[in-house]
Amino acid sequence: MTATSTRPVARWRVIARHELADLWFSSKGLAVLFGFTLVLSVLSYLASADAGINLLDARESVGIVVQTAIGLGTLTALVVSADAISGERERGTLEALLLAPVARRHIVIGKLLAATTMWVASLIVALPFVAIMADGPGVAADAVIVLVVAGSLVAAALTALGLAVSSISLSNRTSLAASVAVLILLAAPSQLPAIKATSALGSVLIKANPVSAGLQLAKNVLVDQRAWADQWGLLVSPIVAATLLTVVAVALSHRLELGGAR
Amino acid sequence: MNAEASSPAPVLDCEDLVVVYGDLVAVDHVTFHARAGEIFGLLGPNGAGKTSVIRGLTTIVPVAGGTVAVDGHGLTDPVALRSSTGVLPESNGYPGAGTGRSYLRFYGQLYGLAVDEADARAGRLLAQLGLADDHRRIATFSRGMRQRLGLCRALINEPPVLFLDEPTLGLDPAGKEDIMRHLAHLASERRTCIVLCTHLLDEVERVCDRVAIMDHGRIVADGTVDEVVRASGVPGHGRLRVAPDDVQPAAIALEGSVAAGSLSFDNSRPGDIEIELAGDGGARGVILRQLLDAGVEPRSFDLQGARLSDAFLALTASGAGAGR
Repeated sequence: MTATSTRPVARWRVIARHELADLWFSSKGLAVLFGFTLVLSVLSYLASADAGINLLDARESVGIVVQTAIGLGTLTALVVSADAISGERERGTLEALLLAPVARRHIVIGKLLAATTMWVASLIVALPFVAIMADGPGVAADAVIVLVVAGSLVAAALTALGLAVSSISLSNRTSLAASVAVLILLAAPSQLPAIKATSALGSVLIKANPVSAGLQLAKNVLVDQRAWADQWGLLVSPIVAATLLTVVAVALSHRLELGGAR
Repeated sequence: MNAEASSPAPVLDCEDLVVVYGDLVAVDHVTFHARAGEIFGLLGPNGAGKTSVIRGLTTIVPVAGGTVAVDGHGLTDPVALRSSTGVLPESNGYPGAGTGRSYLRFYGQLYGLAVDEADARAGRLLAQLGLADDHRRIATFSRGMRQRLGLCRALINEPPVLFLDEPTLGLDPAGKEDIMRHLAHLASERRTCIVLCTHLLDEVERVCDRVAIMDHGRIVADGTVDEVVRASGVPGHGRLRVAPDDVQPAAIALEGSVAAGSLSFDNSRPGDIEIELAGDGGARGVILRQLLDAGVEPRSFDLQGARLSDAFLALTASGAGAGR
């Protein structure tokens, strides 16, 4: 018996622990992580092969892997958070949770923390790939910093967004589709050649969008070898989005309802 | 039935409760009270508003009007109110992963119990409700077992007020009997106030101290079962058995009787006459006297008072044949 086992635990911690167990002791979290690892492995292999025959610069290969890790890692956390409440609503388990004497915000906070671990696990998986592919310790350090800082901010923002959508969606399918669509829309500007980061409007569009800003940061630092000192501006929208969307997700918790009660 | 269900202060006060979904008034100024140790039957046809009453009282849906007090806690303090209630919803879902014990342990912690205490209570409840196999996954539970697990969850905080929406759904007769016995025990021994929504009116007659019948969001009758039956104005029935040759004289004798309303004859059982009683308890004597005066000797005459199911049908729109 431990000292903590005889004391009541904070409700959000109870929820978070339960969600973590549900995510990682069932096949759900591991299956998503396996998919992430598989895609990253294939991509890393292709990027390495291209670098080997000089189709890609070594830095460019690392940049692609880091960008993919940020995008896919965010997607894994987004999928989990988008299912967190609408999934319970659809499975009929939400009512019992809402009947418990737990403040709605504690339910949201607990679920948010659990979903965030999906990104943390993706990050842990991605780090060795990046470290191996990096050409020298300097590049590796840059890549790790970009992944940890920019990736975590982007993932936090989108995880909160997924949970906010999930709390107001009556259908799990709607929640997942809407959340993934938002991620794709946000990621698109950095992938479209028509939107140039060098033009004034393009730069604003990319900087204002947390996902494209994070991906652009990876490109600027890792591929274009720009100085960190000039890139901090690209972290503003991810920081603002992560903060704002987390506040929105928690604020929406007071409207957390059974849905379809009629 | 609990004879001591008359302590002065109600543990559940529902005054003028209104629940609205868009344009639909699901609960229309519903008022009732229930005391500790009382089993209160909340009855009504499908769509009458019973589930919405429970959801309103337990803060699951917003309340558009009225006041509520559960063990002294009002709607302004939903967390405290919910900590005083246990609820088994009608359409309760269960996680596929995990065991019954882990499920209850989780909810025990949500109700503020320490892990050890939650675990011990979970084990006790599972044993009491016949789910002692700790290691069995919920995914493998039958519907009846899930229903019992839901009841365990509703009891994990030992609530002073327990709301049960169709608690015996999916249970076999023995299981139903077991649950009803357990509920009676909770009311009499632990003084738990139980609000029971069910369509099993025989069970309600047997265990409920008081009932309320809802229709279209309103309470149309409430009181003890006898009071509700009397208020419904539904007549009792009598089954008279005479010699087959005496059926015609008996019918003539009872024609226009103040005690006998309509008569019906069972062709499959010659000599049996079903009598709808027009009066109260004195009807039997009047009918027997009229038969004997006509030279008819009854072989048997059984009286049946009106049942709760008769009152239910008479008081609700479904009894009048309204489509639902």
